[in-house]
Amino acid sequence: MASSGARRLELAVPVLALGAVLLAALILIPMGWLGYVSLGGLQGGLTFGNFAALVRNPDMLWPLLLSLGVAFAVAVVCALVASPLAWLVARTDLPWKRAFRLLVMASFVTPPFLGAVAWEILAARNSGLLNEAYRLVLGLPRSDFLFNVYTVTGLVFVLATYTFPYVFILAANGLERIPAELEEASSILGAPRWRTAARVTLPLALPALLAGTLVAFLQAMNNFGAPAILALPAGLQTITTKIWTLFQFPPQPGLAAAAAVPLLAVTVLLLQAQRRLLGRRGYAVIGGKGARLDVVRLGRWKVPAFAFASLVVTVAVIMPYAALILSAFSRRLTITLEPANFTLRNLLFVFTELSGTGSALRNTLMLGVTTATAGTLLTLVIAYIAARGALPLARWLGFLATAPLAIPSIVLGVGLFFAYTHPPFVLYGTLGILFVAFLTIELPIGYQQFQAAFRGLHAELEEAGRILGAGRLRTLRDIVAPLLWSAVISTWCLVFVAAIRELSAAILLFTADTKVLSVLIYDLNETGEPGAIAVVGLTMLLITFAVIGVAYALPRSWLPLQTNTG
Amino acid sequence: MKTRMAWVGVLAGAIVVASATSVQAGLPAPTPVTDELVKAATAEGKVVFYTSVELVLAENLSKMFQDKYPGISVQVERTGSERVFQRIGQEYAANIHSVDVVNSSDASHFIYWKRNGMLQPFLSPEMAEDYPASSLDPDGAYAPWRLNISAFAYNTTLVKEADAPKSFKDLLDPKWKGNLVKASPSYSGTIMTATYETLTALGWEYFEALAKQDVMQTQSALEPPRKVASGEREVMVDGSEYFVYALIDQGNPLKVVYPAEGVPAITSPAAMLKDAPHPNAAKLFYAFLFSQPVQQVMVDKGGTRSFHKLVKDRPDHVPLAQLKLWPEDANAVEARAEEIKSRYRQLFGG
Amino acid sequence: MAAVELRGLTKRYGALAVVDGVDLAVEHGTLVCLLGPSGCGKTTTLRLIAGFLEPDGGEIRVGGERLSAPGAVVPPERRNMSMIFQSYALWPHMTIAENVGYGLAVRKLGRDEIAKRVTEILTVTQMARYADRYPAELSGGQQQRVALARALVVKPETLLLDEPLSNLDANLREEMRFELRRLHDEYRYTTVYVTHDQQEAMTAADRIVVMREGRIEQQGTPAEIYERPATEFVARFIGGTNILRGAHLGGNRVRCAGIALQCGQGEVAAKGETAVSIRPHEIRLSESADGPGGNRVRGRIERQVYLGPTRDYLVRLPEDAAVRVIADREIDIPEGREVTVELPAEFCRALPT
Repeated sequence: MASSGARRLELAVPVLALGAVLLAALILIPMGWLGYVSLGGLQGGLTFGNFAALVRNPDMLWPLLLSLGVAFAVAVVCALVASPLAWLVARTDLPWKRAFRLLVMASFVTPPFLGAVAWEILAARNSGLLNEAYRLVLGLPRSDFLFNVYTVTGLVFVLATYTFPYVFILAANGLERIPAELEEASSILGAPRWRTAARVTLPLALPALLAGTLVAFLQAMNNFGAPAILALPAGLQTITTKIWTLFQFPPQPGLAAAAAVPLLAVTVLLLQAQRRLLGRRGYAVIGGKGARLDVVRLGRWKVPAFAFASLVVTVAVIMPYAALILSAFSRRLTITLEPANFTLRNLLFVFTELSGTGSALRNTLMLGVTTATAGTLLTLVIAYIAARGALPLARWLGFLATAPLAIPSIVLGVGLFFAYTHPPFVLYGTLGILFVAFLTIELPIGYQQFQAAFRGLHAELEEAGRILGAGRLRTLRDIVAPLLWSAVISTWCLVFVAAIRELSAAILLFTADTKVLSVLIYDLNETGEPGAIAVVGLTMLLITFAVIGVAYALPRSWLPLQTNTG
Repeated sequence: MKTRMAWVGVLAGAIVVASATSVQAGLPAPTPVTDELVKAATAEGKVVFYTSVELVLAENLSKMFQDKYPGISVQVERTGSERVFQRIGQEYAANIHSVDVVNSSDASHFIYWKRNGMLQPFLSPEMAEDYPASSLDPDGAYAPWRLNISAFAYNTTLVKEADAPKSFKDLLDPKWKGNLVKASPSYSGTIMTATYETLTALGWEYFEALAKQDVMQTQSALEPPRKVASGEREVMVDGSEYFVYALIDQGNPLKVVYPAEGVPAITSPAAMLKDAPHPNAAKLFYAFLFSQPVQQVMVDKGGTRSFHKLVKDRPDHVPLAQLKLWPEDANAVEARAEEIKSRYRQLFGG
Repeated sequence: MAAVELRGLTKRYGALAVVDGVDLAVEHGTLVCLLGPSGCGKTTTLRLIAGFLEPDGGEIRVGGERLSAPGAVVPPERRNMSMIFQSYALWPHMTIAENVGYGLAVRKLGRDEIAKRVTEILTVTQMARYADRYPAELSGGQQQRVALARALVVKPETLLLDEPLSNLDANLREEMRFELRRLHDEYRYTTVYVTHDQQEAMTAADRIVVMREGRIEQQGTPAEIYERPATEFVARFIGGTNILRGAHLGGNRVRCAGIALQCGQGEVAAKGETAVSIRPHEIRLSESADGPGGNRVRGRIERQVYLGPTRDYLVRLPEDAAVRVIADREIDIPEGREVTVELPAEFCRALPT
């Protein structure tokens, strides 16, 4: 859409410039440092030695290969589980669809490291609740077990459990967009349900499905928390835990930075592929719009389908959450359901005795609020300019705003560490460095929300106001603001939720005074206080659900509520 | 009691080898706890304590301190000794001084810190009086806050006493394959020191054989006792003895076994930082940590061992005199730490 | 002095001139229609007039005052215009009454005055019962009327319409065409109306401006445009026509379809082939074998479609020419039959381009 008058451009130019400079600084400074350090900048001369070490040193190469292998396995599992589930929820008459969607959302907002903690409780080889139940029911000796979470398989399982929602959301939305007539044409020609699904639905939904799988791959590859918790006891390192290890004092910054670069490269490549798959439509609607599409009748397949869906959400949400709750209120280390084992002691310990709780809560909430507010404002302005501005710079601004998606959080953490522990900006040791990290990481979420909102907001709505005599500011106030209000609120909530669960970057950047809840959980897990871990973890989840509840409870907006896979 | 002190004195003397010279020469004059000090400390309002001692015990001690000196809050940062060292190093490298008092089970770190002028020498009258002179750093830069022991422990509901391992050699029995748990020298100072001592006594061949037993790895020395108590594994190869006792107090089915070849002993010193942000509160807290009531609580509730002459043993503790404790050598640990960690990683992963 | 004057108006996107030196004068109180296929620049011209775009060359004057020129554009809110958008652009979060009253509120009228005028215009557009509804509750046609009401209520100096009927179905469109003209007759605002539908243009406009590739191809009254198209493009675009081509034989004769066609109107091309336009219902068919002469030629019926009141014929002529003929129902000649095709000279129009 063409620009709207000369006047608007005058004000937009300095704002545009400021926004661009800010964005560039947020992203280019740490990345510049990363490149500099990986090429040996901190060790004197510039050299490719660090990269050579990466390939030649088995200590470095194996973790990288393991990360890629795990990510691939996770992607496959996610695709296999999420696609049928998405089809069931989006296109069939499966009962309780809304409940399933909500439960998948719950899995979506659970940080993988917390999921790992919960699954430790459930599936540790000997003491895991599931294994105990298995032995009890079948009367088997102690040496028998059903699951062992401290293996590569266990790691893949846990990561898949908390990344499959990405595939689910994209696949479900892709399926909802397929016009029903295409499938009806197949049915009318006599094809049974499965054949229609395989030959018509699947190929049409394939781009969205693949896009989601790519995101799941990246999330698994770049995750730090779950491997840190599960791989170490299994004696394994992934590239993310390796980077973190290299960061311990005395740090080997060159190697750490070099190890970060392959992650960055793979991420950028796969995101390019994903963008091409999705085209310009980007991300889509969630929230179960009433199906105007014809649903597929499951008939006698309804029971097995329901069982499948229930199994998935039980495994992903119900069991782990139950495990956390049990652990939080359990007196002894062996969790049993006897009333005598119930105690509030862990709760009391965390909230009255543990000296880190108060400051971690305060820091987390403060960072959450400031990141959400600053992020929402910044991305709103940038999205507005990008959507309405005609200057070529506007498109670059949009690109910069989504660039952080291509940078794994731990990589950003490494870059930020180097950037802000050296002059001129020494932010290390303050909440400031965490704020910068969270803001940078969550920018794309905000931008994509508003980008979609503006797409739904026809420029003619503002033009209609202007031609009737309302100036630019008045139009913003009377027309744009009310229509975008719920997008503003929902974006704020999403950024808040994403910021408070951030671990991969925080683990490199925190100090004693600037600890956040995610780091506290990680610390406690190293120390091994299971009751306390569960309590803090549940607290984090409660805060998350409270904020999400607010976002969903908003009056139905005039524009569809958008979520994305950020 | 006298025999215990003798053992402790001999033991602690080892960590003081680095600071040669005569035993009493460099000690600072004892600084009593005066009202002015308390007032100045209260004005600062806070003390930051980095420690590797078990979290609940640490918070209990903080609470005692806060009850005794209302107005001064204690911020406890509990993490493994190796991490404590890393955090302090990282913070100081970035010119951030947030820690006041530090405790760690890796004595070699204190040698490093002292050498780099990071520690503030300090002695309270009680420390000068009731701690063996040979156990204190000659310049008063640090002092032995507790003695830790790494021992075996087993789950009594899963293992009969007769079947329990009695020596390191016993652990290599195939029947223990997949049933053992131990901690890592990359995280835990206790285990760093214990590994060094075990290595000295039994060599890398022992560890190579042990690695074939599919031993579960944890980070903290406090984890193996938990894993055994929960039944996740049956026997712990190493881990903090004091925490086993704390878990026994809570009703968990555990029993300690001291290996026949020898028992790793680990002095866990404490010190004050010269660039402490709350210097007066630091002094108050430091003196508090070494006082008799606190040391007694640590023994009674925490299960630790103390250097304080007037502290009574726990009735269920095996007296130190009856244990064959291996000697410590903090200098050697400092020199070989990276090599040991690296080789250990190759054998056990992580 | 015309109400709206465009002088040499130019707008470029990159190297492409989307509006290329347009000169137009819109008289006060008239309805001028910008008509053309998509991409001809009509919408861009309209948006330039509205002030949403800045011209690269030329100027726009309204009431003698210069409102747009390169580097100097009075913003839309100060041009005292009104516009109906193709998407209607009704604000979903306001009621119909609030939508319509918005322009008046901006002009700082009192609440009672606003209410009075809103009720008045809603009555005129037959939407009074929906005053408290929201746009989402209305059908497309109803929304369109509201958009109309909103634009009219502010009594603008200039009214702009951007393909207002293209989102309506055929029946509604026909009804609304007359409605728009009726309202124009009543209020007499200077109106510029953009459309690609020539029936709309014929119904509503006082003057039609046919645009093509950024330039004005021809302007005039509907009758002038229809009866005397100046170019082949205009002839085709308005009313549909047959085009026969051939060499100029001197005078007003052109060689087409094997005969020397006499053209009663128009101009021959300066060089090359000349096109001759004759409308389908102006051609006469008869089965009798009248001799050649005049503008008569023998042809064969290739296709006949019964349309109800008329029949649509495709007739094959010599030299591989073909014409479409629309004849009364009574003239029923089956396919394959030979016929005499008469192209009366007064309807044959020679076109220079």
